[in-house]
Amino acid sequence: MDWTLIIENSLKGLVGINAVYFAVAAIGMNVQYGYTGLLNFGQAGFMACGAYGLGMTAHYFHIPMWWGIPLGVLFSVLLGLLMGIPTLRLRADYLAIVTIAAAEIIRLVVRSVRFKAYFGGSDGINNFSETFRKVGTDLGIRQSAEYGFWPFRFTGRELWTLTIGWCVVALFGFIVYQLMKSPWGRVLKAIREDEDAVRSLGKNVYSYKMQSLILGGVIGTFSGMIFALDRGSVQPDNYSRDVTFYILTALVLGGVAKVSGSIIGPMLFWGLFTFVDNFMRQIAENPIRIGNFMILQSTQIGQLNYMLIGLALILLMVFRPQGLVGNRKEMAFDGR
Amino acid sequence: MPSERRRARRVLSLVFLSAFGLVFAFMSSPAHGADFALRIQVKEQFRDANGKADNQPVAGVSISVTDATGVEIGAAETDETGVVVIPVPEKADYTITLDESTLPEGAALDPGSPAVQTVTEDSFVTDTRIVVFFTGQSQSESQTFFERLSQRILDGVRLGLVLAMCAVGLSLIFGTTGLTNFAHGEVVTFGGLVVFVFNMAGLSFLGFLSFLPGVSEQGTFHILWAAPIGVAFGGLFGWALNAAIFSRLRRRGVGLVTQMVLTVGLSILLRNFFLSRFGGRTRPYREFTLQRSWEIGPASITPRDAVVSLLSLVILVSVAVVLRYTRLGKATRAVSDNPDLASATGIDSERVIRLVWIIGGALAAIGGVFRGLDEQVSFDMGGRLLFLMFAGITLGGLGSAFGALTGGFVVGIMVEVASLAVPTELKATPALLVLILVLLFRPQGILGKAQRVG
Repeated sequence: MDWTLIIENSLKGLVGINAVYFAVAAIGMNVQYGYTGLLNFGQAGFMACGAYGLGMTAHYFHIPMWWGIPLGVLFSVLLGLLMGIPTLRLRADYLAIVTIAAAEIIRLVVRSVRFKAYFGGSDGINNFSETFRKVGTDLGIRQSAEYGFWPFRFTGRELWTLTIGWCVVALFGFIVYQLMKSPWGRVLKAIREDEDAVRSLGKNVYSYKMQSLILGGVIGTFSGMIFALDRGSVQPDNYSRDVTFYILTALVLGGVAKVSGSIIGPMLFWGLFTFVDNFMRQIAENPIRIGNFMILQSTQIGQLNYMLIGLALILLMVFRPQGLVGNRKEMAFDGR
Repeated sequence: MPSERRRARRVLSLVFLSAFGLVFAFMSSPAHGADFALRIQVKEQFRDANGKADNQPVAGVSISVTDATGVEIGAAETDETGVVVIPVPEKADYTITLDESTLPEGAALDPGSPAVQTVTEDSFVTDTRIVVFFTGQSQSESQTFFERLSQRILDGVRLGLVLAMCAVGLSLIFGTTGLTNFAHGEVVTFGGLVVFVFNMAGLSFLGFLSFLPGVSEQGTFHILWAAPIGVAFGGLFGWALNAAIFSRLRRRGVGLVTQMVLTVGLSILLRNFFLSRFGGRTRPYREFTLQRSWEIGPASITPRDAVVSLLSLVILVSVAVVLRYTRLGKATRAVSDNPDLASATGIDSERVIRLVWIIGGALAAIGGVFRGLDEQVSFDMGGRLLFLMFAGITLGGLGSAFGALTGGFVVGIMVEVASLAVPTELKATPALLVLILVLLFRPQGILGKAQRVG
């Protein structure tokens, strides 16, 4: 068993691009779930807004790529309104149902043959991130050269997206941290604890919830953009509802209603995920057999990983719903 | 005494859940390694007495398959269903040759399907690539709008019945405990897959039951045995989930949002477990044979689907009657209305909730089996219905069982009829539209009662 490789990969997983785009999405979800108590199960839909906003500039509108950023934000504000207007006056679970449905419909629409001209069908959209890469090259980062030290050794290509990605994480982390200290943020937390009390103080709860939903969604949009820029492509099946659930797991793992939690969580999530995945693949190379029955087959590792995520989410919710750094008192709210 | 009983329940439920995990894990899994195959069908096209286009299988035709280098991979004759399945080592380019001299006398291939056909590697969408040879004259004809509409409505009724069945459990659990169970789709899948295990995969240690009619020595059961077994296991599964997880959380006063997120974890866990044991393919039940359709006016339905629909209707009506007239039904509705008040009048609400989980699990399993008969089984068959169930229970009124019945039914018909206007791949979209419109204008649903909800 090659422990050096396993540890190297796991440490890289802690800071890799997956951790980055999960962290940005988790910061957004934390605004909704952690601070306001809104269950947004459609974060993948907001991420798709960002990714397709970028992709469509080249594929459909034929305008410079940077226009994709305002376009993606516009899409996600519209999506937030679509999800929020019917549900935010109602109980928490209506929002969960509508968001999960809307995100799934978005995925079906963008992968459909009917709208292939706009979204590229199930193949998605490729080759639009050259403008983004070029900025990195102009700054002197050679795309194929290796940078860094053990274990954090990345190619220039990876390094460039990672740098930008972690800057975005820091930026949104800072913004959300400041916002939650402000009077505005305190109203959100008060809504989470007791909506009626806030209403009796003359606050427009509906409007605050809407702002929270849209803010979280727009942050999620940037997560989708980072992911799309890293891959240089947009594929509809990267925005399935399971992605939302994994991000939720990562958030809960780190800690709810804490900015630090929403950054630590995704890092730990991908560190552990990479560790378990690599570990099991090494075992599967020399399988342990009992008679004809193999303990672990390489074809089953993918599903086993995801089963462990599900199990982790269950155990977290039973024993530590506030996550590692969260405060249990902040997770006692009830949707009813 | 009550705490001892509670502990016993908890232990029993955990034993049950882990026993299940083990049985599934050791089942002769069809998921091991992907096996690729070419499924070749030979069909004779003709017009029936009423002048409608139809086709029937042609048996005994020799088919051979060669790979790109001309090496023969396999050869066989079509069986009485006109089908021959030839396993191939990998997804690649193959040439399929039909020996025209083995066609029945007087039959000739349709010019549209030559005797030598090639398939390319890209055309394997799933692990099995289907190739069809047609004999006789092409009989394709355009259906009138009315014909298509009535066929869609009939399909919609079938989907609606399944949805209604699955949604009742979801709605009852919501009504009595306030929990929106995002893992309910997996309970549906569970039912469908348990039946698959008994019906197709077989449990060899049950081979000693082969003295019974319909049970083979390999431990496979006829669908008429397997279906009730699956439903019983579905009920047990619902009971075990409640006893092992949710009743404990309720007693500890864990918030509903936390429980809801937990069901999401449960859904991920179960779905991937099913995927690892069954693979990503859809599979039919054993007695799933192609049946000749009955014509009902302009639409057609197979006898199997007709029986399934009738059975669903009977089950749904009995559920409604039980809820309306029996003591249990009244107690359930009382707990849904106001759990505290119900407890105060002497109703054991935990007992009611337990029964609701059992009934909900069993109904979901029936839904899974019927869906499996209709569309074959797969690891995410229930997960894909979940959103439609939600649309149904919202339309009918969240928490109202009668609402779930009607809502699920209406959504099923709507989704199928909508596929006349929108592409099939987007036919779920109108359900979202309904969901949003209902929440905007009548959030309590058709049958729910208006109350302040926010």
